[in-house]
Amino acid sequence: MSKQVHRTLSESQVTAISEELNEPDWLRELRLDALQSLDELEFPDVIQTPGRTWTDLSKLDFEALVDPEGALEQKERVAPEGVEVLSFAEALEAHESLVREHFGSVVDPQENYLTALQTALFTTGTVIYVPEGVEAQAATIRTTMAGQSLFNYTLIIAEQSSSVTILERQETAEEGEFDERYYSGIVELVAGENSYVQYGSLQDLTENTYNYGLKRADTDTYATANWIDCNVGSRLTKTSVETVLSGEASESQIVGAFYGHDDQHFDVDARVWHENEHTTADLVTRGVIDDEARSVYEGVQDVGREAWNTSSYQRENTLMLSDESEADASPKLIINNHDTEASHSATVGQVDEEDLFYMKSRSVDEHLAKNMLVSGFFVPVLEEIEVEELREDLNGRIQDRLAQRTA
Amino acid sequence: MSSEQDHLKETDTEARFGFKKEQQSAFQTEKGLTEETIRLISEDKDEPDWMLDRRLRALRQFHEMPMPTDWPGQPDLSEVDIDEIVPYIRPDIDARGGVDDWEDLPEEIQDTFDKLGIPEAEKNALSGVGAQYESEIVYQNMQEQWEEKGVIFCDMDKAVQEYPDLVEEYFMTKCVPPSDNKFAALHGAVWSGGSFVYVPEGVTVEMPVQAYFRMNSEGMGQFEHTLIVAEENSEVHYIEGCSAPKYSAFNLHSGCVEVFVKDGAHVQYSTVQNWSKNTYNLNTKRAIVERDATMEWVSGSMGSKATMLYPCTILKGPGATDNHITIAFAGEGQDIDTGAKVYHNAPNTKSTIESKSISKDGGRTNYRGLVHIADGAEDSSTSVECDALMFDNESTSDTMPYMEIEESKVDVAHEATVGKIGDEDVFYLQSRGLDDDDAKQMIVAGFIEPITEELPIEYAVELNRLIELEMEGSLG
Repeated sequence: MSKQVHRTLSESQVTAISEELNEPDWLRELRLDALQSLDELEFPDVIQTPGRTWTDLSKLDFEALVDPEGALEQKERVAPEGVEVLSFAEALEAHESLVREHFGSVVDPQENYLTALQTALFTTGTVIYVPEGVEAQAATIRTTMAGQSLFNYTLIIAEQSSSVTILERQETAEEGEFDERYYSGIVELVAGENSYVQYGSLQDLTENTYNYGLKRADTDTYATANWIDCNVGSRLTKTSVETVLSGEASESQIVGAFYGHDDQHFDVDARVWHENEHTTADLVTRGVIDDEARSVYEGVQDVGREAWNTSSYQRENTLMLSDESEADASPKLIINNHDTEASHSATVGQVDEEDLFYMKSRSVDEHLAKNMLVSGFFVPVLEEIEVEELREDLNGRIQDRLAQRTA
Repeated sequence: MSSEQDHLKETDTEARFGFKKEQQSAFQTEKGLTEETIRLISEDKDEPDWMLDRRLRALRQFHEMPMPTDWPGQPDLSEVDIDEIVPYIRPDIDARGGVDDWEDLPEEIQDTFDKLGIPEAEKNALSGVGAQYESEIVYQNMQEQWEEKGVIFCDMDKAVQEYPDLVEEYFMTKCVPPSDNKFAALHGAVWSGGSFVYVPEGVTVEMPVQAYFRMNSEGMGQFEHTLIVAEENSEVHYIEGCSAPKYSAFNLHSGCVEVFVKDGAHVQYSTVQNWSKNTYNLNTKRAIVERDATMEWVSGSMGSKATMLYPCTILKGPGATDNHITIAFAGEGQDIDTGAKVYHNAPNTKSTIESKSISKDGGRTNYRGLVHIADGAEDSSTSVECDALMFDNESTSDTMPYMEIEESKVDVAHEATVGKIGDEDVFYLQSRGLDDDDAKQMIVAGFIEPITEELPIEYAVELNRLIELEMEGSLG
């Protein structure tokens, strides 16, 4: 039943979306091609071990979740000086050739079933254009979904020697009664030569929302693409944050944080491909799960045959606050060049007994002590976040969660 | 490379492992796998009906199951055509179940095991020895003192005849059912030879027992079955060695090992695999470990064209412990995909996995491992450590661990590193007067030391020697 949603979608619906947005022919064709391809495409890969599927996307009823005509939202965009932060319509009008060049260049619209579905149906999005040499402050985008489903597309083009920090938040409006919702977001980041981009995201959708996300950067020579991916909301999240280090001496850091409670399910992937010489990657993920929540983590460090002098590191730590929760992790190394320094580590455990004992010996009661230790657990991630606003937002959400914890 | 090394390399690998003998058999099946073949094997072995029934059921399961092809990055098995395999070859000897004097063996076979150094090792370091040639055990002997204490160490086929109750209870029932995977099903249908080890309650077998498996014929499949039952508070160390000469056609080795470690018992299973580089080595090995018992797997994978082997431990009783130590060495044309599986199904269980791999000349190694901690397995801990050394840019080294943690009161840690041989280390040793080759060999020997120190000295020396041979000529 799951992949049947496209049977109910028609070319005329897709054409209507495209016409509503006054899009050029090439983009409409891209959408229609994506719609056509749905029949042959598979869901994104999930990990399977004997007898178990870590995240079973085939159980989702996309037909019921997706309402192509009910895509309501509110959008806020704040642009710093020198940077253009535009809706797709505005961007197509001002920089059509630029958008055409880069749209779909990092994430193939037909990469999997969900990216194709998103390409066919996206109604909203943002193009961030940082021209050559511009050193900008923070750009912020806030997407508040108000309908049953929403497909949001973000395209970031950072030209040579530019630098920018971007903060994007996903939330749900209070109005609107839906049993279940679906949010899908793709972010493509084109990091030009010697550019620097930090992109931070805080996903705080309501807990009846199914969420799919794919964020991928492609780095040119000397470029740096840093990701910060925070997941707090949603019922189920399947998200992947990725960098293709195609330029010599380019770098990427992927920082992840999640905090799951009740019966939330987070499937969080971090992947990096070293495809050129002297590239560096650092993957750091920290997550807490409570109640009956479940976390799935996959980290991939792939070092190509030509990636001489590679440095690649990965750390993942999960803290389990409840006995009913489950944490699965798979950090992978794929190494094809021996001139590599690569390592990864992963741990799963509970709050350290000795730490707790120390706090109690200082007359902090157990509940508070545990909350303080959980707050402290996130500090290494918080410290990586350059935008104060995001740091405070994330910390605020962590504190909210902790306040909800029953003793 | 000096001529002396040349000579060494030839005499050692050729004479010791690569030599071929004329094929002489008393009975062998046709190629391929049909019900008829299974009935012939069972009849030739004069088996009871229940064993024939198990074989036929396994055959049906084999035909129903798909080939494993969708594991991420798995070795290419497309060449493995079961219909091209001769599943059963009975060598031409009189005594079924193996003779107990090397002198009684036909000269060909005697010479084979002499060259492999088995009789020599038996005298010095072992409690008992079994030797399998093609599909059957040809030599089996154990020191009398252990027999007197009730220890059984015999050919698996003989065990079916002489200890039917034990075999019927434990053979591919609770530990590795044929439905486990396609190659376990294949094994269940055509298994032949292997060892049966039974250690009564409270008995400690002080010196290891060893089995050596030799494939001589081209295009054959060897499917030996090893069943170890260690009763409460007993202790045994079982060692297995394997080799075959190289042919152009592929050979298949699909063994199965089942180990039952009862309360408080301790079993160590060590193997150094040196199959020829046309052999597909697809095994299923599993241990069920009860309360306060310990299972140790020590594995060296040196040979074969492709290996897929993940010794599995099920920690069933509270306080049970598992240790895995594995080393993989992949040279030209080899794909060694190996690792470990551990299921923590009881509280206070503990596992440690230590994996070392070396890849060179285009070889690929992969650590593939699964640690599962079930809900309720409180106060359990697991630690996984993988280190990989790469020699050149044609080689590949992958690490694919999977952790499934359903219990919060646990301590789970996984660590892995990959790198090349340290230039500074080599430089230091060279400054002490070692040449480049020797320096690198010494670094490799140090790298695998955690493994070799777990093996009896004869085997540690053997393993080091094998690695030296693999590395010679390719360095410097």
